[in-house]
Amino acid sequence: MADRSTIGRRALLPLMLAGFCAALAPLQPLRAQEPEFFDVPYAKEQWNYGRRLDESQLRFCVDGQDPDWEISAEIGQALALALLLEPVPHVVRRETVIEDITVIYETMLQHCDVFLGFKLIPEGYQDWLTLTRPYYAARYDFVTLDPALGSLGDLARDRPIGAKMGTMAFLSLVFYRSAVPAGERWPLFPMGSNEQALDALAGGRVDVALVWAPTLWAGQRAGSLPATLRRIDPAPLAPASIPVGAVLLSDETFLRTALDEAIAALGADGTIAGILARFDFPAEVMP
Amino acid sequence: MNPRQDRSAIFAIAVASMSMLSTPYAFAQSSVIDQVTPVTDEMLRNPPDGDWLMWRRTYDGWGYSPLDQINKDNVKDLQLAWAWAMTPGGRTQETPLAHDGVIYIQNSDHTIQALDGATGELIWEYRHELPEGVNPNGVRNKAIYGNKLIVATRDAHLLALDTKSGQLIWEQEVADHAQKFAFSSGPIVADGVVIQGATGCGGGQPGGCFFTGHDVETGAELWRVHTIARGDTPEGNSWNGIPLEARYGGSAWIAGSYDAEQNLILAGVGQPYPWIAEMNGLLPKSADPNVTNDALYTNATLAIVPKTGELKWYHQYLPNDSLDLDYVYERILVDLPVNGQDRKQVVTVGKTGIIESIDRTTAEWLWHRETVPQNVVLSIDPATGAKTINPDTIPRIGETTFNCPADPGGKAWQAVSYSPRTQTMYLPLAEFCSNTTPQPLDQGERYTGGGRATFARVNVPDGDGKVGRVDAVRLTDLSTLWSYRQRPPITSSTLPTAGGVVFAGSLDRHFLAFDDESGDILRRSPKLSNSLESFPITYTSGGKQYVAITANFASGLGRLASLTPEVKLPTNNPITLFVFALPD
Repeated sequence: MADRSTIGRRALLPLMLAGFCAALAPLQPLRAQEPEFFDVPYAKEQWNYGRRLDESQLRFCVDGQDPDWEISAEIGQALALALLLEPVPHVVRRETVIEDITVIYETMLQHCDVFLGFKLIPEGYQDWLTLTRPYYAARYDFVTLDPALGSLGDLARDRPIGAKMGTMAFLSLVFYRSAVPAGERWPLFPMGSNEQALDALAGGRVDVALVWAPTLWAGQRAGSLPATLRRIDPAPLAPASIPVGAVLLSDETFLRTALDEAIAALGADGTIAGILARFDFPAEVMP
Repeated sequence: MNPRQDRSAIFAIAVASMSMLSTPYAFAQSSVIDQVTPVTDEMLRNPPDGDWLMWRRTYDGWGYSPLDQINKDNVKDLQLAWAWAMTPGGRTQETPLAHDGVIYIQNSDHTIQALDGATGELIWEYRHELPEGVNPNGVRNKAIYGNKLIVATRDAHLLALDTKSGQLIWEQEVADHAQKFAFSSGPIVADGVVIQGATGCGGGQPGGCFFTGHDVETGAELWRVHTIARGDTPEGNSWNGIPLEARYGGSAWIAGSYDAEQNLILAGVGQPYPWIAEMNGLLPKSADPNVTNDALYTNATLAIVPKTGELKWYHQYLPNDSLDLDYVYERILVDLPVNGQDRKQVVTVGKTGIIESIDRTTAEWLWHRETVPQNVVLSIDPATGAKTINPDTIPRIGETTFNCPADPGGKAWQAVSYSPRTQTMYLPLAEFCSNTTPQPLDQGERYTGGGRATFARVNVPDGDGKVGRVDAVRLTDLSTLWSYRQRPPITSSTLPTAGGVVFAGSLDRHFLAFDDESGDILRRSPKLSNSLESFPITYTSGGKQYVAITANFASGLGRLASLTPEVKLPTNNPITLFVFALPD
């Protein structure tokens, strides 16, 4: 297999990382994706769902398994009020660890005009969904139990990092590792979930974990994480965050526009910032 | 309460509970159901000509029927005998089973039905309720043993239903669907053991997938073979230094074959998850000389003893697969000479479309034969089968690579077949390429996008725009007997028969019948209700031969529909079982 490490590349890493982030947007206009086997949404007797006539309500969903579901619920309430609609929240509660996104289709038909709490990945959604603008951006954090580590750069190069695989921050770390010489790469263990990465850290199987800050926040709030767990500076990597917003079914163009305007207004008048502050939530309002 | 009342109360609770979980419906009894006999080990080894008792009809995976009532001369006269609307919603890649004139089908929502094979009358049905969040996407195959129809479910259960009444005999929860384990193919029964493979093991569950062996009488799990190697062994150390908790994939999503002579199950394993090697940690390669990044036993044939689960040997076709070009499909067992020497072979075709054979007694590499245009494998060592992969096709984060083929494969789950009449393998194939771009995985905190890359599928450069293809490759000398090409994808497995006909279904709703020697189309059905993405079978009932195929858009090669936008399919995906026969 090809090995991408070359002499001198490390000096160019900052530029390369910037280029990598830009490159995550598609390099060329992509043809609309055809449905994958599991990507075509399905709902039982979906042909029975007609157009809702009661338009005085904003039905919004949040996922009870999301660490930020309470913040999302507050934002949903605020959006409804901003649009002079009656808020009708629905908290999705399911035990499945990871699910294909098509499962939200039936939920949305039954319960939600809008589903909050989704990472706004460029070109990352199928055509049957449309995205709002972000209402905040949340960080990915490197965390450790080692008091000697002040930054990621302090971690010895033979010590492992555990990370929830496939996140934007994970890809950034992968890109960095691929660019440095083989002997200077931290072992990187991909984990199926943030919880698994934190569990590996607590169990001493990794020295640093890369996790989504809201998961960290929820764990610390619940008291389920070691008290000595702390964030470290991500240097030499740049801080990573991802915008978070909501999804709607793609035919809800009018509502999507209205929600975007409401999000902008609530961001400008400090409502969203106030919600984040009240929960001491690790995110920043998007301009 | 006295003991008798206690027992009565307990019995009543048990019956009520069973009623809540499963409610078999008895309909007007057809006399054909009374003729259903127990399926014996001998019957499985040598099925009656008019039966279809397992996924590919026989243990050797041939998918061939010895029936010849329908032949080259009269296939053009085939008529619709009956049709049955299967339960709406979801998708299916169904293989009906046929025994003693009764057809058994599993609908996408896991309603299991027995139908009179001659008339299509419903005899009985049983409904397995799928839990919330488990999509009704059907299961590819079932098994029959004794008086039991053995069915796998999308929520990782195994059920045994009485073949005559549809009553539940036993049910086993094999894995937790909430942890994303699932069954998308069904079992094979060999040596009194039900062997089942798991899928969905990339859903954040470390350690990967597995095969399990179950007591056919009770469903109790007897053994489990993990498809991701573990431990301080050469195989266990083939994951680039990643610990077991960070290894995913190795899906066992296609049923295996059974070598009765050696008493071995020969089954395939899929690729690591996620597919992109930079994401799953297999690239860049570790500098530790004590580890490799081959990722065993992904993309391998496993030889498993049915009674004990002992892994006798394995052969890996494609180490460190980062293109979702897994080698999980059917294993065809043939005894044919290679270089003048008789060899007991196990032949398979991966998504690359390359036919590959190994000796199934020694695991020795024998030969390969390419089919569709591909740019992934630069060369194959003729002595070992080791592949040199084109480095330009390996997906890299932040880049787009060009791959021919890509997911779903130049050869997909639609099974190849082998005819002893012509000593020829009949392959449903697809010609296409893809611009492949790795993408982040996590849209929601726990919702994923499924695919780990964006596949922008395109026609083969400088090609003629045809995607669908059926190749007839003679396994005695690896020559091409004939090759049929068309624009819409061929979407079903092939079905050769002793009548000299090869059946196959197409995205554009035609059921085709080819001359097995010349490739001439002997019959093109009128357009049926939907794309024909399933496994056709043929059987007899009352001495008359029937051919059955399920119509529905099951994705798979149907994913290539974007390459043929002129092919229009109905909305809401109607699913129908069509059965054809000659006029009386």
